[in-house]
Order: sequence, then structure tokens, then C-alpha cells
Amino acid sequence: MAKMLFLPLLILLLFLFECESFSAENPTDRRLLVLVDDLAIRSSHSLYFKFLESRGYVLEFRLADDPKLALQRYGHYLYDGLVIFSPSVQRFGGSLDQAAVLDFVDAGHDLILAADSYASDLIRGIASECGVDFDEDPDAVVIDHVGYAVSEIDGEHTLIAADDFIQSDVILGEKKIEAPVLFRGIGHSVNPASTLVLKVLSASPSAYSASPKTKLSTPSITGSTIALVSVVQARNNARMLISGSLDLFSNRHEKSGNEQFVTEISKWVFHERGHLKAVNVTHHRVAELAEPAMYRINDDLEYSIEIYEWSGSSWKPYVADDVQVQFYMMSPYVLKSLSTDLKGLYFTSFKVPDVYGVFQFKVEYQRLGYTSLSLSKQIPVRPFRHNEYERFIPAAFPYYGASFSTMAGFFIFTIVYLYNK
Amino acid sequence: MAKSTSSDVLTLIRSLRSAYAATPTNLKVVYMGIVGSFPFNSFLSGVLSCVGTAVLAVCLRIQVNKENKEFKDLPPERAFADFVLCNLVLHLVIMNFLG
Amino acid sequence: MGAKAGSSPPVVPPPASSATSFFPSINGLKLKTKQQELLIRVSILALVYVLAFAIRLFSVLRYESMIHEFDPYFNYRTTLFLTEKGFYEFWNWFDFESWYPLGRIIGGTLYPGLMVTAALIYWTLHFLRFAVHIREVCVLTAPFFASNTTIVAYFFGKEIWDSGAGLVAAALIAICPGYISRSVAGSYDNEGVAIFALLLTFYLFVKAVNTGSLAWALASAFGYFYMVSAWGGYVFIINLVPLYVLVLLVTGRYSMRLYIAYNCMYVLGMLLAMQIRFVGFQHVQSGEHMAAMGVFFLLQVFYFLDWVKFTLNDPKLFYSFLRIALTCAISVGSLALGVGMATGYISPWTGRFYSLLDPTYAKDHIPIIASVSEHQPTAWSSFMFDFHILLFLFPAGLYFCFKRLSDATIFIVMYGLTSMYFAGVMVRLILVAAPAVCLISSIAVSATLKNLTMLIRAKNNATPMGSSKGTASLKASAKASSFDQPLPYQRNVAIALLLGAFYLLSRYAIHCTWVTSEAYSSPSIVLAARGAHGGRVIFDDYREAYFWLRKNTPADAKIMSWWDYGYQITAMGNRTVIVDNNTWNNTHIATVGRAMSSYEDEAYDIMKSLDVDYVLVVFGGVTGYSSDDINKFLWMVRIGGGVFPVIKEPEYLVNGEYRVDKGAAPKMLNCLMYKLCYYRFGEVTTEYGKPPGYDRARGVEIGNKDVKLEYLEEAFTTSNWIIRIYKVKPPKNRW
Repeated sequence: MAKMLFLPLLILLLFLFECESFSAENPTDRRLLVLVDDLAIRSSHSLYFKFLESRGYVLEFRLADDPKLALQRYGHYLYDGLVIFSPSVQRFGGSLDQAAVLDFVDAGHDLILAADSYASDLIRGIASECGVDFDEDPDAVVIDHVGYAVSEIDGEHTLIAADDFIQSDVILGEKKIEAPVLFRGIGHSVNPASTLVLKVLSASPSAYSASPKTKLSTPSITGSTIALVSVVQARNNARMLISGSLDLFSNRHEKSGNEQFVTEISKWVFHERGHLKAVNVTHHRVAELAEPAMYRINDDLEYSIEIYEWSGSSWKPYVADDVQVQFYMMSPYVLKSLSTDLKGLYFTSFKVPDVYGVFQFKVEYQRLGYTSLSLSKQIPVRPFRHNEYERFIPAAFPYYGASFSTMAGFFIFTIVYLYNK
Repeated sequence: MAKSTSSDVLTLIRSLRSAYAATPTNLKVVYMGIVGSFPFNSFLSGVLSCVGTAVLAVCLRIQVNKENKEFKDLPPERAFADFVLCNLVLHLVIMNFLG
Repeated sequence: MGAKAGSSPPVVPPPASSATSFFPSINGLKLKTKQQELLIRVSILALVYVLAFAIRLFSVLRYESMIHEFDPYFNYRTTLFLTEKGFYEFWNWFDFESWYPLGRIIGGTLYPGLMVTAALIYWTLHFLRFAVHIREVCVLTAPFFASNTTIVAYFFGKEIWDSGAGLVAAALIAICPGYISRSVAGSYDNEGVAIFALLLTFYLFVKAVNTGSLAWALASAFGYFYMVSAWGGYVFIINLVPLYVLVLLVTGRYSMRLYIAYNCMYVLGMLLAMQIRFVGFQHVQSGEHMAAMGVFFLLQVFYFLDWVKFTLNDPKLFYSFLRIALTCAISVGSLALGVGMATGYISPWTGRFYSLLDPTYAKDHIPIIASVSEHQPTAWSSFMFDFHILLFLFPAGLYFCFKRLSDATIFIVMYGLTSMYFAGVMVRLILVAAPAVCLISSIAVSATLKNLTMLIRAKNNATPMGSSKGTASLKASAKASSFDQPLPYQRNVAIALLLGAFYLLSRYAIHCTWVTSEAYSSPSIVLAARGAHGGRVIFDDYREAYFWLRKNTPADAKIMSWWDYGYQITAMGNRTVIVDNNTWNNTHIATVGRAMSSYEDEAYDIMKSLDVDYVLVVFGGVTGYSSDDINKFLWMVRIGGGVFPVIKEPEYLVNGEYRVDKGAAPKMLNCLMYKLCYYRFGEVTTEYGKPPGYDRARGVEIGNKDVKLEYLEEAFTTSNWIIRIYKVKPPKNRW
């Protein structure tokens, strides 16, 4: 029974960590743990790692089955991001397991997960917990007999050229990726129940996922439903990249768009781009400055919020014209677009509806690639007080007149009566 | 003789008074029919002040009327004091209710 | 009973007054009979006053000075607010802690009489430098007003019969269980002061009718105002009084006194009542108050006709005039009523009112009213329990009343009969009937005793004594002596009957004490049971849970529970609730009922839309506490289904039977309420020799022992499992 007492406490702590993970000052990750099957990957993917180091990340390479692996010590996470480049590992070493990786993500940290032509159950498990299902056939790879890479010599056409990118400057950078991405690996499908997964790179319609050895198998996923690389932005804004190919990150494909693709998307995953913060939410009555504890119906109020975007090194004002605020009680009573002064400040003013109750100022801003802003601030709205109604209504003057004349009549009557005694 | 005239005057005034209190009531109801009942409390207080005064005046008249045997042991002074008291309460409440 | 009074905590003023009147009597040595009688009367009244207060203190002695049950917690909370923030804040209080997210305008939706009374007592005490806590004042308000009621009962009895009947009435009402049930210390509810106000209004009105004085009518208007400010039961007054006037008119007892009393009381009372925000314009708009208005106009017509008759002199002319006037008046009246109804100015009767007139109405139409146990029709046993010998004395008293008909006795007869009817319809209205029953019974007791003693005395002294009480008793004694001559053994029979009457009355006293101590003095927020060794076991789970809420949840957490516990959660837990005992919004309650009776995932969506953070359920399976949420569950289904037809009652029943064991309906076994109550209950052995998961409240082994929760997690369960609190999980992070 005592345990239950601690539960809410634990949850509270968890929230605290969440806040900590992106410090308001600098949301970009710094310390990364890279798990590999084989330290040779360090050299075969050296360009990618070099890029990360050049961006200021501190990389720590470990074998995935290193018995001393640990993500946290004394309840604090040692890393800000996790890169799993070990598609074949069956069990992590040390205290790390699937649940630990997922907790790491749920605590607000980022993850890059790469499978390859082969993916262990562990890797598949982590992926499917994030809403991504790798092709169940262990031998299946993505084959495309139309859009294959010309450099490929054998006839299996497993190195495919994919250029069906997601249309988002935030995720893939402003510079268009000209050359197709060369991809060799397994495909995955996105769990339809999940709303958070985005297919960043899809296969072409002529692709299918099957084992190249057995010719007669019916492919389980085909065409553009095959996702090659997907990203997930969790509700706590932790970002995950799931790729069906480790080869994608390697140094081999020089003339392709691979390098640009992985560097740009890594910037996104590690919050160098598309990270918003909202601060200084204020609201007050028109012509007042202090924030009231309660509004009255039909009050005029002003609402403002500041939104900034992280540019990788500093906070820049975020500019958009589609930020909206709701004045919400079970359904939005007021829905207004906020105007901006281009310096990050968004503001509007409106009249409190003629309904009392406990309202919320709600800003739900979810745009592709950006961290979701979901702010709500509770504020009660009370009806008029008894002395706030209109007094002395002209329409009622005859009534007043009647009442006062009866009173006068009463006085006259009293005097007459007493006089006549 | 003087006494009878004075009582006549009294009766006259009293009936005038009742009539007076009743007229605005009717007027008001008509007015309300025209304007609508928005300041309902004002309307009510207006009407009730008239109705109340009328009723109280009638009560007083009943009580001081010498022909009514039921009120032999109620001195007219007491009746009048009661009447004034009731009216005071009535008008105070009306004032409160009017605005 | 005297011993009971003596053992009570000292209540200062009344005994002191009796003592001061006692000492001169010793000095004066011999008092006149009148003075003696006065002395006896005052001291009896003083004793009764103390007794009425003392007998209601059982609960304080047993448990502690605390507020009982559900509604009183709301009253307590508002009183606290009133004393802290002052009257204007209270008058305009918009409470956003209840009925989230709608909020509730407390100032405009409550009867402020009780709170203002308690606050006034509190301020007075503080002015006199008694530093009492407001809780003590609230706890003792009901007994204090019960004591005052005895005084009113005395004067009322005196007004309708004689002072002897008044004394008996005061004594009877002081310990009448039907009244005690709502006025023990700690039951800080509207009824506590309302019965006082009710009786006071009636007394003053009867007094006004008897004297025909404007001042008494004014006083009764003020009494009515107090009643309106205290309790919704004022509707009873505003309907009974016109009915009484009507009966007097029909029976040809119309008089100028009646005209004065009723008109003044109605006009002023109505005006005063309109100052209470909750009542507002109902006096001219709601159908329940139309009777009073109709009778008011009828009286004017009657008076007018009288006047015309007086002026016209010619009976023939008068009758034709009468016919025309009557048809005109009736047609105009009905036209006005019809137009009012049609345009919606005059609202139709409310459900509660309908269910009073037609006891089956609520069962068919308004489950929310039928679900409250105190709205159920009364069983015979509870009549017996609450009235005891008064039940037999009541008809006897009616007989005496009819024997000596006057305006006052007609009133009490009507009050008694109507309130008896209402008491039969709804359990809680026994309370309204209690004063009437006591008064009428007191007439029976007093008249019988007087006749009997008269017989005995008449035999002793050949001259009829008739010493004490007025002309009426003289007449009675004369009548008695007129036919006592031929009967033999009259004196012995009279003595025997007297002894019998004393025996009955003493049984009544014993019964009342027993009932008060056993049945009506439990606070219901702290439960007591007998342990295996006969010792008392106290289950203080409610307060444990509310305290946990207060200390361990965020200050703006929203708690969802069935509405019964809403007031307690806001008052003791200081947290926002979705619904509470002020059942003003049926849809909102139905939404909660729907969430409770849905599957977990559907319920989760509902709870999210209401921003619910915690869910609280009351579960008696471990302790055998039977008024828990599983037993109330069918009402949740019914109320939920009344608004949302998705919820169908038959899906929770098996062959029309409500069960929770293996044979229960699948929907029942998987709905939210079942899961929350029985979560991990399958692992517990509650009773020796029974399988794990044995529900002691229902005496069955539960059907779904392996309850898995997906969207909620257990946050707290009290030591006896009576209250279980669950936290609603945030949405999944990665989906």
C-alpha cells in the first residue's frame, strides 16, 4: 500500500526529467551513445560520425553486448541521445534492454535505430513499440527492378534508388536533395494505429519487399507503402529515426544523396531544427496589466504568447501566421488566429463569451516537423456580481414612478389620517 | 356632526387611495404588454407596491371600520401602527427590489 | 429522561432562568395558583429545552464533533466561506471547484438561511469573546434550533388548544425520532433550521388568523421569508396556506381576519421571498406557486362580492351580479394561466413536485430523483420507528380537533393530513409531518389526561375544580361531570387509564432515546462495526482518502466520482470535482455514469474530455459496507442510459438479475466501475474459509479476478479498501 504513495511522486519526478531533457536554453543533444555490433562500423561509417563530431556532439562507442552498458546512473541519464547501429544484436549487455531503451525515449531523449538486411528480434521489438513494423520475413529485403542503382552489378536489384522524400523543409533542410538515396535493407510499414510516425523516405511504386532467394513468395508489403526511413516525434517531443538500412549511413555511396539525407535528418533528430518553445504566456483585461485570477463574462481580454525556434545555436523568433488560440470549455467558444510582430510575440484580443465556467486558454500548435506546442491555462469565468448589472433602465422608469408615487401616496395618506383623528 | 364628516372624508380618501393604487397596476400591466418584461424585477416591484399598498389599505379600513364586530378589541391606534409598520417593510423591500 | 438531561453538557441560559423564578417562590412561601402554574410551566419548558438539546448530542459523545453525511459538508464549506470572506463575496460566489468545467454559482443556487444563521451565531459568540471554531457552531446549530422548535411548539399548541397541550407538544417534539433523524448534532443541514422556521410561520399565521392583526401577519411573512431562505420545502407552506384558506372559504368560515392575515402574509411574504436569489421570480412564474396567487385573487373577488352585497342590498340583483362576476373572474383567471403556461412565463411543475403527487412518477421518468434513498416511498416500519405511539395518538388527536372545530384546529388538521400523505410518499418528508403529528398527538394526550384527572378530582371534591386552564376546560369538566354520575368505578378506571397513559408515554421516551442512540447518531462518514470480539471497530476510510487527496494531488486536480461524494471531496479534499450532490445538471451526471459503465477505452476518452485526473470509487467488498458504488451502479447505468442510449441496462443484467459473480453479464465484468472496484481484489482473501476474491458486501465470489487496467493506475487505496483512487494515465508517449 505504501508503494502506491510513491507512485505519483515517481510520475512527478518523471515529468521533472522531461523538463530537464531539453533545457530551455539549449535543446540540442550533446552526449551520444553509439552502440555497434562491431567496431569496424566506426571506420566504415566514419564520414557520418565525423559529421556528428563536427556538429559538437560527444560520441561514445560501445559494443552492443558490452556487459557494462548503462544508460543511467543514480537515476540520471548519462546520454542525451542513443544511436543503435547494431542490427543483429540479440541482447544488449549490462542493464540495457528494450524497456530501458523505451524508458530513455519516454524520458525525452532521442534515438536513431538502424536495422539492416537482417534485424534481430530486439531491434524489431523496439521499432514496433515506436509504431514501425519491419517486414516479418527475416530474409526479406526491398527489391526494385525498375528503380535500382545503376552501379549495382548483380541482378537482385536490392540496392534501390529512392527519391520519394517527405515534403518538409524542417525535417530535410531547405536545400533540396538532388540525387536519389541509395538504400539497401529491409522495408517497414507504419502501424496504422500510430499517429506520430512519419515516413521520411518511401520506396517507389515498383518496389516490393521479399526474399531475393526464394522467387515465388508473395510480398507482404509492396509499392509506396514500404517505408524505408521513418521518424517518430513522441508526445514529449523526443525524436526517433528508424531506418531499415545501416548501409545508408556508410561511406560507400559517394555520388548519391545519402550523405545530405542522413546529415540533414540527423540535425532534425537531434533537435537542431524544428524545435519550438513558447514562453511568457500572458493574458489580462484590456487596459490592465495584471493577470486576473478570474474573468467575468463579456470581459475584453488580451492574450499574448512568445514563440521561438531553436536554430541550432540560438533562439530565433518563430514566424508563422497560423498560430491559433482557443478559449475552451468542453468545446472552443473562441478560436482566433494570433497576429505576430515578427519578433516572436503573438497576440490577440477578444471578448469573453457570455457563458460562465472554467475555461482554458489552449494553444495547440502541431506542424509537420516542428515540436508540438500544447499549452493550456485554466481560468474561471464568473457571471456578473449582483451589483454589476445595469441599474436604472429607462424602460423601467414607469415602474419606478409608480413605486415612488405609491410611497408618496402613503405619506400623504398617513398625514391626512393622523390629521383627521 | 364633525365626527361624521371626518369619517366620511376618511372613507373617501381611503377609497380614492385604493382606486389610485389600482389604476397604475392596470396601466403598468398594459405598459408591460407593450415594452416587454425585461426589467422583470422592476415591473414586479412596481406592481406589487401598488397591490401591496391597496391590500394593506383595505385591511386597515376593515380594521378601523366600526361596523365590523370582529375587531372590537383591536384599538384603531394599534391597527394604524400595524399598518404603518407593514407599509414601511413593504416599501423598504420594494426599494431594494426596484433597481 | 431526566437523568439524560442531567448528564448532558451544561446549557446555560434556560436552567438559570428557571432557577431565578424558583427562588422567589421559596421566599414568597405561598404563591397564587396562577403564579404556581406559571412557575411549573416555565420550568417544564426549560427542562424540555435542555432535553431537546441534550438528546441530540449522542453522536458528539460517541464519535467527535464533526459534520455528518453528504450535504452538510457543502453547507459547512459555504459557511466557512461566508465567515471568512463576508456576505457579499458569499452572495456572489462563483465556485469553480465543483461541476468542472461548468462551475456553479453558489450564491444563486443555494438557500442561504442556514449558513447565515450559523455565521450570525458565530459572529455573536465571537463578539461576546467566545473563541469557538465555526465547525462547533455548525455541529450544534441543528440541536439549538430543535430546542427553539420546542418553544414554538409550545406556543403553537397553546394557540390551537391550550397551554397543557402546548407543554405536551413541546415535550413530544423534543424527542420525536422523526425530527431527531435530521437534527442531531453534526447534521448541519437545511432541515435543521427549516422545521423551526416552518413551525414558526404556521404558528404566526394561525395567530394572525385568530387575531386578525396586521402585525402578526407581518411576523408570519417574516417567518415565511426565513423559511424560504432556509429550505426548498417552503413550497409546502405556500401551498398549504392557500389550501387552508380555500377550505375555510368552502366551509363558510370566511372572515375579515382571514382576509387580512392571508393577504398581508402573501403579498409581503412573496416580496420578501423574491429577495432570495435562488427563489427569484418563481413566485409569479412557477406552477407550484400559482395556487397561492389564485387564492389571493379569489379572496379579492370574495371581498369585492361582500362589499357589493353590502351596497346592493337586493339579493336578486346580487345573485345575478354574482353569477356574472364569478364567470368573469374564473374565465379571466384560467385565460391568464393558460396564456402564461403557453408562453412559458409560468413554468411547469418540477419533477420532484410531480413525484410528490404521483409516487410512481419519479421511478418512470427521473432516475436521478428515484436513485436517492430518501426519496423512496416510506415503509410502514419506518413510520412506526419514527413516530411510535404518536401514530396511535394522531387519529385520537384528530378526533378531538374535530370535536372542537375552530380556525386553528382546522389548520392543524389540514397540516397533519397533508404532511402525513407526503410523509407516505417520501421518506424524508416524515420530518415535515413530525411537528404536526406531535401537535395533534399532544392534543389527544393533553385532552385525555385532563379529562381523566378532572374525573378523579371531581370525585374527590364534590365541587368541580376546573382550577387551571381557561373556559374550555371548564366546559369539558362540566361535560365530564354531567355524565360521570351514573358510571360506577369511574375513578378506578380513570386511574388505570392514567397509569396506562403514563406507561405509554414512558415507553415513548425510552423508544426515542434508543432510536436516537442506535440509529440516528452515526455520522456515516465514519463507520462503526462490531469486531469479532464484540469491540467497536471504526472505519475512518473516507477521511483518510480525502486527506490523501488533499495532500498528494496537484491543487487543480479534477476528481471524478459518483455524485454522492462530490460535496465531501470538495469540502475535505479541497479538489475539483466533476459532479456533486447538487444534481442540477443531469447531462453532466449522465456523462459520469456513462464513463463508469463503459469499457475502459471508451471511458478514457470521456475522462480526457473532462480533464479528469483521478477517479474515486467506494468499494465495500472487503468490509461488507453495503452502500458502495457497486450497489449504486445500476443507477449510474440508468442515469447514463437516460441521456446516452448507448448504455443499455439489460446488458448489465443476467435474466433481469444484477450480479457480480461468474454468471454476471460480460459487459458488467469489464466495465470501468467493476474494474476499478475489483482491481487486484482477486488476490485478497477477505473471509476465513472463503476463496480469494470473496465479496463480503454481496456475499459472492467475484467473476473477474484478473482485472487489468490499461489507461488508469491505482494511486491509493484506504486501509479497509473502502475508497480506492485511481490516476488517469497521460496518453501514450509514442503512439
